[in-house]
Amino acid sequence: MREAVLRLRYRFWPDHLLGEILSKRWTETAIPVIVLLLVAIAFSQVIPGFLSPNSLADTARQAAEVGFVVLGMALVIVVGGIDLSVGSMFALTDFCALFCLDVLNLPVPAVAVITVVFGAMLGAVNGFLIGYLRLRAFITTLITLIIYRSAYDLLLFDYSNTIAAAFPDDALWDFMGGGGVFGIPSVALLYAAVAIFGHIFMTRLRPGWHITAIGGSRRSAYNSGIAVRGTIARCYAASGALTAVGALFFAARLGTVGGDVGVGLEVTVLTAAVLGGISLGGGRGSVTRALVGTLIVLLITNGLTTLSVKGGVNRMVLAGILLVAATIDIRWLKNRTRIIAKVYVSPTYHDMPPLPGPRVGDGTRFAQNDRLKDVTLIGLGRIEAPEDVILDRHDNLYAGSRHGDIIRFFPPDYEKMEIYAHIGGQPLGMAFDRNDNLYVCIGGMGLYRITPDRKVEKATDETNRSFSSVNDDSRLRLADDLDITDDGRIFFSEATVRYEMHEWPVDGLEARGNGRIICYDPATNTTRTVLRGLKFPNGICVSRNGQSILFAETWGCCVKRYWFDGPKKGRVEMVMNNLPGFPDNINLSSDGNYWLALVGMRSPALDLAWRMPGFRRRMAKRVPLDEWLFPNINTGCVIKFNEAGEVLDTYWDMAGVNHPMITSMREHRGYLYLGGIMNNRIGRLKLEGADPAFVQYDYRWGKKP
Amino acid sequence: MIAALKRLGDHVLGRGEAAITVPIFDGALKPNQILEGAEVVAQVEGANDLASDGRRLLVADGKQIVELAGNGDRKEQARFDRIVTALCPLHDGGIAVALAGVEVRIEGGPSAGRSWAAAAGMPFHAVNAIACAPDGALVVSDGSQRYDTERWAHDLMDRGATGRVVRLDRQAAEGKELARRLEYAFGVCPAGAETMISESWRHRLLAIAPDGRRRVVLDRLPVYPSRVVAAAGGGFWLTAFAARTQLVEFVLRETTFRRRMMKEIAPEHWIAPRLRSGESYLEPMQGAHLRTMGVLKPWAPPRSYGLVIRLSAEGLPRYSLHSRVDGINHGIVAAAELGGFLYLLAKGPGRVLRLPLADLEKEARA
Repeated sequence: MREAVLRLRYRFWPDHLLGEILSKRWTETAIPVIVLLLVAIAFSQVIPGFLSPNSLADTARQAAEVGFVVLGMALVIVVGGIDLSVGSMFALTDFCALFCLDVLNLPVPAVAVITVVFGAMLGAVNGFLIGYLRLRAFITTLITLIIYRSAYDLLLFDYSNTIAAAFPDDALWDFMGGGGVFGIPSVALLYAAVAIFGHIFMTRLRPGWHITAIGGSRRSAYNSGIAVRGTIARCYAASGALTAVGALFFAARLGTVGGDVGVGLEVTVLTAAVLGGISLGGGRGSVTRALVGTLIVLLITNGLTTLSVKGGVNRMVLAGILLVAATIDIRWLKNRTRIIAKVYVSPTYHDMPPLPGPRVGDGTRFAQNDRLKDVTLIGLGRIEAPEDVILDRHDNLYAGSRHGDIIRFFPPDYEKMEIYAHIGGQPLGMAFDRNDNLYVCIGGMGLYRITPDRKVEKATDETNRSFSSVNDDSRLRLADDLDITDDGRIFFSEATVRYEMHEWPVDGLEARGNGRIICYDPATNTTRTVLRGLKFPNGICVSRNGQSILFAETWGCCVKRYWFDGPKKGRVEMVMNNLPGFPDNINLSSDGNYWLALVGMRSPALDLAWRMPGFRRRMAKRVPLDEWLFPNINTGCVIKFNEAGEVLDTYWDMAGVNHPMITSMREHRGYLYLGGIMNNRIGRLKLEGADPAFVQYDYRWGKKP
Repeated sequence: MIAALKRLGDHVLGRGEAAITVPIFDGALKPNQILEGAEVVAQVEGANDLASDGRRLLVADGKQIVELAGNGDRKEQARFDRIVTALCPLHDGGIAVALAGVEVRIEGGPSAGRSWAAAAGMPFHAVNAIACAPDGALVVSDGSQRYDTERWAHDLMDRGATGRVVRLDRQAAEGKELARRLEYAFGVCPAGAETMISESWRHRLLAIAPDGRRRVVLDRLPVYPSRVVAAAGGGFWLTAFAARTQLVEFVLRETTFRRRMMKEIAPEHWIAPRLRSGESYLEPMQGAHLRTMGVLKPWAPPRSYGLVIRLSAEGLPRYSLHSRVDGINHGIVAAAELGGFLYLLAKGPGRVLRLPLADLEKEARA
């Protein structure tokens, strides 16, 4: 009963998504968006008409004004600084706009240009001091805050009456202050335009990337040749200009200069930026986050004002939120990778029928024996990690090595060896096509092809991205084994889409169907995923009917058949279920059957642990990887099976001294060649009664000698 | 209240008591391969204990006690109807033996035929070591009230705490408990007025005063200690029959998994320490056990291990002899000195080993 509940819980609750979502960059934007929705819903419940169109238009007008300032602040924070002088600049540029309009009586377009240029110059002072003279941003902008504010106070003394007495009558000015299109305020439209440009600027244009790079690591950015000082200075100038735009619209809306204009604006703006998820550490931020932060802050301040909360309390709430947001920001940034690492691994319920027991002399075809004890060894200590082995019609032996090479051994004694081709990633499964191209699956890289004149070419390294996956699964992470159909299509397995090749034990711990089978068509150069949700799919072999492939699922301990052609096209059938070990590569045998390597054997303790996901999750967190309970891949065997999935023969090395691990085997002219991914040798075994002329891919392509 | 909450928090987060850290082999316990290189004196498949009376080496092999010569020749000394689980040569010429863990009997000598089957109202269940106190009384350790000596792994996996140490006066009909509720008592040795006890599942060596006061002599061992015997030059030989691993420590904290494992899986395939390992692919494999390029790393977490520690008179480790993960002389349960040699019983491969003491002392000084 408990087991049934457990099974259902793990079948229908996608544990693995939490880690995948958290590791996405957009979570840091998604969380402020959720906060925004909560705030909006909360206030609309308390205050009637809070989200009515009128109220929203009013909010949007204020939001856009403040929003410009937040954009400037965001830019400065992303580049790694801070701008405390925005409030004073806001006041000064507000004054500048009204002075130009009311005292100098300039036309509105000239007023706008002069105000923005004036704002940019105010910001440029900060930029020069911080960017070129390398003063601290905090102290510099604190000083300019005081200076600008004092200047504003002095100017205010002289001109406030003149400005207050003026009533400019200008259609454009009124449109800026109170007009709109279809109920959308003019300022919001301009903000939208600037925000869209800002988003493109930050994510798609070179200067935007430079800004992010400088904020992420100033030294690295400098070393990469980015003009650090100039970029920083320009960011402050831009901050000033954006502040001026906000102030311009503020001036158009209210038309006054008072002593409290822009007072405390820096706190509001800073809160908006941090709350939106723009990290104070620099290098992380976006326009969307600035917008979301602005909206949250304005909804809160407006909501509190509507609820007749005192101004001081209002400010205190904002400061409190800023404190909380800054704390979360710094803690999250520090622990992000640790938290993700803890929740990413998510074992699932993996039930298997009771372990069948091959024992010494138990009478079945599976009975243990010592027939692999006498294999002769090729390349002992000279080759490392030959996962797969293959031979051509000239009896040359090819094998991968963990140094990223394809090694070729020469007949007849296979003593002499050379590097046939260097690819760079770990070669796994191999197959020859009709034209003697050697196709190789490379862990971490994809499917590669080595032409007969030893040229290395990439066949494919990506497939179609699946809609249901949070992780981008279009890149190939662990292409494992392949085979080629009569019409030249290549079916290959990708063992897991959640982990890298060296992390295969973690995938075994999860025991989820993380793998897939992919088809690459050289004729059209297209790659499509054909099967998903497989438990570490591994060996692949086109069956003799030419219409289906046999594939092994390592953690599933089974061999299945997938029909890619013919009347059963698209169907998957079980061929061998509940194997006592973990199946790996599959290949043809000369007598019309198939070879299958069992890379390791199941153990009762692991079978039990596979039924207890919570146990495995805690083990993953508390026990170091070297001490984890692993699938036992120190002992393996080779079996021969027929089309119906019956085991015909078994080859064991019980002591495990001579050939401890077998991931692949290839029959060639009466011998069986053995590869193992943790081995430093290739095994060669004389087969009794095997066809002495059998060369797998000559036979496959009908090129019988 | 706060302590209980803290314990709960520790349990959830795997800290404090729930942490699965295991001390490393360090200092005097620095690994070597001395034990692996020891001379094999004899193959004794069913042996449980070994001791010397100063003249001859006695081995409890199955149901018999044999005298083993340095060249491996065996001479039967006594035969019983049950398995001998412990033996101790007495000063008066007799031999004290434990039969099937449930009876302690004296064979030969003036007190021949004396036997005890209970102490403090409870029958013996798993007597696994006997020592002779200076006053002639016997001190025995009774490992567990629930499982017999062969099923010690069950006791560990059941988190057994029913071990006791009992003093048997030659005249008294019943023994007197010196200590109880021990987490598997396996080995006793008189040390002055006190009695040394190795408490296996707590990985420590205790000294118990005649009034019952306990003193921790050696704590936080990376191994499960077995018998302890006095060494000729002062100090003691402490043997260890298995080493701790983080995985076993983790499993010991996973109650549900442990219960299901004990119910559903054969004991030889449990995640538990064993006396020998690597025989079947059905055994659980840990990450570092993966044979890479044909090599099994000796530092891999030991499913079985061989270790003998030489302790000073104060009970501090001076040096140690190892047989590491890639070796076979594992599961050391008894040590005895005789004629310039240290004889050891490796229960894993069923071997009696010996090492020249002079070489060991030289090794210790080096």
